[in-house]
Amino acid sequence: MTTDRVLPGRVALWIFCVLLLAFLIAPILVIIVTSFNDSTYLEFPPHVFSLRWYANFFTSAHWIEPTLLSVRIAVVTMVSATILGTAAAIGIVRGRFRAKRSLELFFVSPMVVPIVVLALGLYFMFSGYHLLDTPVALVLGHTVIATPIVIVIVMAALRVTDPSAELAARSLGATYWRALWFVTIPSIKAAVLSGAAFAFLISFDEVVVAIFLGGPDATTLPKRMWETIRFEIDPTLTAISSLLTLVAVFVLVAVELARRTAGGGDKA
Amino acid sequence: MTVSTASRGFWRSREGMLVLPALAFYVLIYLYPLSRLGAWSLFDDGFTLRFYAELFSEPTYFKALRNTLEISVLVTVICLILGYPLAYLMATTTSSARRVLMILVLVPFWTSILVRTFAWIVILGNNGLVNRAALAVGVTDHPLKLLFNMIGVQVGMVHVLLPFMVFPLYGVMSRIDASVVRIARSLGATPARAFLHVFLPLSLPGVAAGCVLVFLLAIGFYVTPALLGGPGEITLATMIDMMINTLLNWGLAATLGILLLVVVGAIFVLFSRLMGLSRITGAGGEPAR
Repeated sequence: MTTDRVLPGRVALWIFCVLLLAFLIAPILVIIVTSFNDSTYLEFPPHVFSLRWYANFFTSAHWIEPTLLSVRIAVVTMVSATILGTAAAIGIVRGRFRAKRSLELFFVSPMVVPIVVLALGLYFMFSGYHLLDTPVALVLGHTVIATPIVIVIVMAALRVTDPSAELAARSLGATYWRALWFVTIPSIKAAVLSGAAFAFLISFDEVVVAIFLGGPDATTLPKRMWETIRFEIDPTLTAISSLLTLVAVFVLVAVELARRTAGGGDKA
Repeated sequence: MTVSTASRGFWRSREGMLVLPALAFYVLIYLYPLSRLGAWSLFDDGFTLRFYAELFSEPTYFKALRNTLEISVLVTVICLILGYPLAYLMATTTSSARRVLMILVLVPFWTSILVRTFAWIVILGNNGLVNRAALAVGVTDHPLKLLFNMIGVQVGMVHVLLPFMVFPLYGVMSRIDASVVRIARSLGATPARAFLHVFLPLSLPGVAAGCVLVFLLAIGFYVTPALLGGPGEITLATMIDMMINTLLNWGLAATLGILLLVVVGAIFVLFSRLMGLSRITGAGGEPAR
């Protein structure tokens, strides 16, 4: 099964999959190529290449201010989701109690709750506390969405690490918290960093909570993009799209590097 | 020691202390807001069921529900048909080829949904790549309508949700022992028979997991139907947005939200009881909505 013998069925399978992957990748490539246009029309391929839409993005406050807000919100979300998620994951995996499965189910359930519904609930709640249109509301909403991914990744890592190292540290006199900090956490470092990177990306790209809870005083980059797409086609969007794709690729590379460096000298 | 004291002991244990902050956060910023929806759907000036009555009597909302289910079923079926062969190839090819295939699925998967939806607007528009190619080749003499209708919604949603089908499928398929298929072959089964009678049945848990995951995500999908759909593709999610932002009917918005939540919750709980949660979350399925 692992060798690809040249069978007609196998060839057809490869052709099908290559076309399917082209379908997945092509839209992103088209947008990246279009972003180097000099024209105000979205020409593909561009007749004259230029970086004017990138320049437009980086020089207009209309785009840069939402971008900086998005970065700030994503960083705070990353920190809070990573701390909450990592602690919860350790507690669930290492703890001995009956409701483990239900608790796990509860903690990952935001993954399948429609974000519109969550955003609506938060909209009702925050309108009562005058928190609508504030970065605080966005950070809280994004943390709910990002924490499950940290929990899933860290739990998966904990389940394949050997708890005996922690027990050894304890038996040598380390307190529970010292053993946690110096033995458990380092052994799942790669998972924690991956979770953090994905939490950042989820918040940075998040649209729905940003639309519902944001406003003129708290407009993130995705919200600004959303408003623009709905009413006009601004070629600056193609440049931003390329940059956002770059951010996603950067996060994936970072996660892969974290996995590799930690995978090497982990346990003898 | 009885069970209840054991559980009470947990919350005083160190593991309990580790879980507590996240639990408190979830209760305040996740459970409480969702419960506010219930309150808004049931109280107006005192307790009322009129929002629910309106929901089930007004044909507009019924149509939105039907649209939502129709779109979700179709997206799920298309994702299964497209995703199964890809997952099969990933599970049965060499590890270096598998790595390349995985990267080609992961990059679009983690790319912003807004970016991908915008890309489809550019590609499928009247002046877009597809229409110019179709006009140049002579398939048609006027631009095809590919946006703001069912075609646009399906293309955009399949593009976003396909990886959610592929990951659980691949997760199950990669654990199928290749030797059982070889044995079937050595006993005289044709490749087609070996696949149909050995591999396919063993991959069914992955099919179930992928379909449930894609269907759940499709039901609540907002960005793509809102941007690529037209008036005929109003879903529960886009209806909620309309209630809040244009009609200012909070009670009805909350009721629609509850309806969506009940459908999703029922499928999620039922499936996790039947199949085990790890099939949804553990097979590399990471959210990117």
